[in-house]
Amino acid sequence: MSVRVSRRQFLKFGAAGLGASSMAMMGFAPDQALASVRHFKLSGAKVSRNICTYCSVGCGMLLYARGDGAINSHDHIFHVEGDPDHPVSRGSLCPRGAGVLDFIRSDSRVRYPQVREPGTDEWKRISWDDALERIVRMMKDDRDRNFETHDEEGHLVNRWMTTAMVAASACTNETAYLTQKITRALGILKLDNQARV
Amino acid sequence: MKGKGGAGTHEFGSAPTTIMEPPQVVLPDEQLFSRRALRLRELMVMVPAMDEFLDFMGRLVQAQQQMLSGREPAWRPAADAFEPALAHGMPPLGFQALRRDIDWQADLSGILDALELHVGQRQRELLDALRKSSAAELEAIADDVFEQRPGSEATRGLMPLVAAALQVAWVRLTQALPSAPQRPSAEAKLLCPCCGAPPVASVVHNEPYRSGVRYLHCALCATEWHLERVRCSACERGGKLLYLGLEEDGKPFLPVQAEACGECASYLKIVLRQLQGRADPVADDLASLPLDLMLAEEGRYARSGYNPLLILDA
Repeated sequence: MSVRVSRRQFLKFGAAGLGASSMAMMGFAPDQALASVRHFKLSGAKVSRNICTYCSVGCGMLLYARGDGAINSHDHIFHVEGDPDHPVSRGSLCPRGAGVLDFIRSDSRVRYPQVREPGTDEWKRISWDDALERIVRMMKDDRDRNFETHDEEGHLVNRWMTTAMVAASACTNETAYLTQKITRALGILKLDNQARV
Repeated sequence: MKGKGGAGTHEFGSAPTTIMEPPQVVLPDEQLFSRRALRLRELMVMVPAMDEFLDFMGRLVQAQQQMLSGREPAWRPAADAFEPALAHGMPPLGFQALRRDIDWQADLSGILDALELHVGQRQRELLDALRKSSAAELEAIADDVFEQRPGSEATRGLMPLVAAALQVAWVRLTQALPSAPQRPSAEAKLLCPCCGAPPVASVVHNEPYRSGVRYLHCALCATEWHLERVRCSACERGGKLLYLGLEEDGKPFLPVQAEACGECASYLKIVLRQLQGRADPVADDLASLPLDLMLAEEGRYARSGYNPLLILDA
């Protein structure tokens, strides 16, 4: 464990403290400064680091949300800027990344699972449980039907060629690892990590 | 039309030509106090509730500039004095080591003379009290400033003037350094890599080569050193930070926020140059005293910034 060097002190700047401060001792009455507080409102913002989801460059972003964390229950993102400390982008954002606020607030943003049944032109809202159940069922049926254990020459292959997986640039390293593990364990060979969706 | 290898400027404006690589540690320049005094005069108009105090501080800082640019100190370090410290990542201007060599008391008497014609009756008493103090008494006040102690009722009003002289002496020393120190080690990066003093506040710069980059600003020697954005300057965590500012009629008042950490319950002010280009960590910290008062009233966070121009009773 490293030893932290600490020469930092914490103070509270209350009305009593100000009355005995150097400001008062130098002959400047603190009354006006104390009274001026009534004109102001305290406003709070939360800032979070994030990675831009648009493309594989992975630029660093700072997202500003209103709310003081305790009183306001809804965080409302109101400002985005490039993270100057991010080693990849060093504060830069491209126009798409800089416009991410519109993406976050977009009316057409997908917020829940939907399905378009074969032969229809209508998107239907379904629950997460239904969506996952459905995907699993279809994958299992397809794999049971088309899994190949041997090729024409009799070599052991254990592959599943009728389903592919497409991952995207918003994946973290960890997601990419899991994607690889899951697809390979199932025998899927067709895996693409599309960089710019 | 200009060639592709031009300086990045074209008829519609300019574009960055290189990747931003901001310096890690920046030494103060020779016009530091002059700019700060100018800023204090601006703030005096913006914050009428504190105008007399800010007026006095503006004159004090202007006197600091006179000492820095006009006075030749009795002792200057040898040209190679700091090279071993710089080579080995040690703070070259540690105040414990250097204070006996420095004639900061001459800077103090120079500052008092410069203020003489510009102060009110109450402040003149401070000048007289300091002139009557013995060298040992002044050294004792300087000790309190260095150790961030509140002093006694009798000396607290004198401490900002003593601190002003110490700031001049240390800024002068930074100008003798052959180069800025390296980035401070991880264990010590919350204290000044030049002199070891704590920061007053942090400042986010707006020049193209360090746009949006945040530095901590030293309370003694005004050196600035890099600290990542969205990171607490006291405990280095970033998960529970809030940026609290003052609003007047729905608009931000002063380009200053408190970077308040829910983990260690402390805050350091952060001065945003994107909002006002001349904002200064020391001057804007003084002028945003109402923010400290509101946060003290609110009670969740304690202040960690040390501004020796405003000493609080502990």
